[in-house]
Amino acid sequence: MADQRILFAKEGTARYISHLDLMHTMERAFLRAGITIRHTAGFHPHPYVSIPLPLPLFFSSQCELMEFGLVEGSTVEALPEQMNRVLPAGIRVLDCYEGGLPFRKLAFVRYDITLEFDGDLAQQAGDAFRELVGRESFVVKKRSKKAKTGFTEVDVIPLIRAVEAVEPQGDVLRLTLVLGAQNPGLNPDVLLQGFKGEYPQFPILYSACHRREILDENGQVYR
Amino acid sequence: MDHTLEKILARVQKPGRYVGGEYNAVQKDKASVDCRFAFCFPDTYEIGMSNLGLRILYGVMNEMPGVWCERVFAPWGDMEAELRQAGLPLYALESGDPIAGFDFIGFSLGYEMAYTNVLNMLDLAGLPLRADQRPGLTPIVVAGGTSMYNPEPLAPFVDIVSLGEGEEVTVEMIQLYRQAKAEGWSKEEYLRKAAQIPGLYVPSLYDVTYHDDGTIAAITPREGAPAKVTKRLITDMDQSYYPVKTIVPSTEVTQDRVMLELFRGCIRGCRFCQAGFVYRPVRNRNQELLVEYGIQACQDSGYQDMTLMSLSSSDYPDLLPLCDGLLAWCEPHKVNLALPSLRADNFSMNLMEKLQRGGRKSGLTFAPEAGSQRLRDAINKNVTEEDLLSSCRTAFSGGWNGVKLYFMLGLPTETDEDVLGIADLANKVYQVWRESTPNRSRGVRITVSTSCFVPKSHTPFQWEGQNTQEEYLRKVTLLREHLRNRSITYNWHDPETSFLEAVLSRGDRRLADAIEEAWRHGAKFDSWSEYFHLQTWLDAFQTCGLDPAFYANRVREKDEILPWHVISDGVKESYLWKERQAAYDGVITPDCRVKCSGCGANKLCEGGVCHG
Repeated sequence: MADQRILFAKEGTARYISHLDLMHTMERAFLRAGITIRHTAGFHPHPYVSIPLPLPLFFSSQCELMEFGLVEGSTVEALPEQMNRVLPAGIRVLDCYEGGLPFRKLAFVRYDITLEFDGDLAQQAGDAFRELVGRESFVVKKRSKKAKTGFTEVDVIPLIRAVEAVEPQGDVLRLTLVLGAQNPGLNPDVLLQGFKGEYPQFPILYSACHRREILDENGQVYR
Repeated sequence: MDHTLEKILARVQKPGRYVGGEYNAVQKDKASVDCRFAFCFPDTYEIGMSNLGLRILYGVMNEMPGVWCERVFAPWGDMEAELRQAGLPLYALESGDPIAGFDFIGFSLGYEMAYTNVLNMLDLAGLPLRADQRPGLTPIVVAGGTSMYNPEPLAPFVDIVSLGEGEEVTVEMIQLYRQAKAEGWSKEEYLRKAAQIPGLYVPSLYDVTYHDDGTIAAITPREGAPAKVTKRLITDMDQSYYPVKTIVPSTEVTQDRVMLELFRGCIRGCRFCQAGFVYRPVRNRNQELLVEYGIQACQDSGYQDMTLMSLSSSDYPDLLPLCDGLLAWCEPHKVNLALPSLRADNFSMNLMEKLQRGGRKSGLTFAPEAGSQRLRDAINKNVTEEDLLSSCRTAFSGGWNGVKLYFMLGLPTETDEDVLGIADLANKVYQVWRESTPNRSRGVRITVSTSCFVPKSHTPFQWEGQNTQEEYLRKVTLLREHLRNRSITYNWHDPETSFLEAVLSRGDRRLADAIEEAWRHGAKFDSWSEYFHLQTWLDAFQTCGLDPAFYANRVREKDEILPWHVISDGVKESYLWKERQAAYDGVITPDCRVKCSGCGANKLCEGGVCHG
């Protein structure tokens, strides 16, 4: 039998659950709901749950995907309600369905980003941000576990598919960006780090990143 | 969520422990609640959420209509600094509300090294530290837990000490408080009446006077407070609350599993062991009920691991049928069953094989506690060398290739010969491995660990002096010189924490000043090596004119009034003295099932009969 997927939201206090802890939380939630899921084959079988695009800590999302194999205890129709009764606060299953596009076709993520600035700096920061993303190339130093130096350099410009909104409102700057999802993807935090380095005169007091939608290579909703 | 808090959380380690929202965390409508209880655990979230007592009392209180019990843990240093800088008070995880406005602030105290965290949490909550600086009825600060069998060092800070098992007395205390609130009593009036509830000790109702030599002259109750306060006890474990439905943390905690409590108390009577006396008598839970609870708890939590908990699990009378009953469900559901706290004398290989199910045979741990038979008899450990060696032989021939051995140094009557007995025993274990292992080329890991004995209240050794740190380290060096085998690793616990523990565990209420002084100079999380500095404490003792050696190293006289004189766990002091004599005579006392030794704890049960 082919595998199933759930679409779920991770918000509020659930933003503080790390990716690894989320996997455990989901495995336990299946057991609590009385749903049996497929185990991996091999010497140490373990429940198979796969999240194609791990959500960084602190980010919220309304479009997380997880793949698993439904063995018994539910149907794709009944599963969301069954799971939502046993999930911690902030995690909500929105949909469950059979199959889905291959993970490699997941190409872009639409992010809503809220940046807080002191006083009236948001307006100027918005202009600065537009200038930055309008460049031909913008290389940011990013932490890397693989590189010997602990850092690699990445040009973020080719990884930005679209800048859909740059809206200053009071002391807040709201951005809507469509960024590369994987191979390579762009974590908005890397972009913000680059902004901080380039425009130290606009210190970001707080940033909140929210995943609004995941898209395929044609910019269509990915499921 | 508060936006200032959101900003802070982005900067601290493991923010998940400060937000709540876990599965089964209890939310209530504030409008329907007339009593709010902040259950404070004076250590990190990871440690606190691993505590079964917290889960039991959380469940008991939240089952009371109109009562909302919420959790509060000690914030780690980075979080504390952020809270203080932002001016945010300590809040409860469920509601996010500051706890200063709660009706009760309750602390669970399992060990003395958490005392400074109690002060720190009160301060973070924005409350005055001392009970007499909190004149209103609300909040009432209450403390319970094993280390509260000598609550005196914390006496000036808390309003009430709850002794023994809290399932019933907590409810009674809350009901009386509701009456007080409804009828507008003063705090004094409430405390006076609370002191009449069995198991509740109100320190402010006792005056303590001292002799010139620093020992206690008299402890005098006032305003009708009882001369003895006896711990509370759940007599029927089958009727008592078990938290089948319990919080499942979304982030990893220390004991991230179902904790199934087999029984309370211990039949053994090891003379150094405080838990072995204060939890008397033994009360078992029915085996079939346990199987039922275990399965339900796994189903409700989704946990894939279960630990059978007690002070000495191999003493549970129906252990084999219990394990069979649990395994019948656990195996097909892929739930691992762990069974710690086994004794070397009745260790069953059959059982271990069952639990391991062909998995890794990593390590076994035994606690002979002392190296020589003479000293093991003196402390009434009642494990023989042959018990240990034959258990090791079975394990090694069954494919195990690691064993950990735990000992204490500085036990009463100990000589250098006893210390060397530890090396001798470890070497014998090594020889047994050579003789019995099916595969010598894999090698063996024998780990010997020693800690520094801390004499505790309510034990036969409550009158003893602790070895000085120098003496302990001399013994460590001696032992190290005799453990020259590459297969044997020797770890020793640092004596500084043990020394402070010895001071606090048998201290009187004059120590409160030193605790406050140490806290003011930065002491907190004293059980964490990152934070612990003995010098801070030594300075505090000096400032307060107290000699820590007076508390830690001094041998007490038989007729001395000990600081915990008012507190009773049901065991007679004359019995403890008799046991101490027996230790010096090297005479063992049989366990409770073989022969009742008349400790007095049976009087706590209906009809005066134990059913262990």
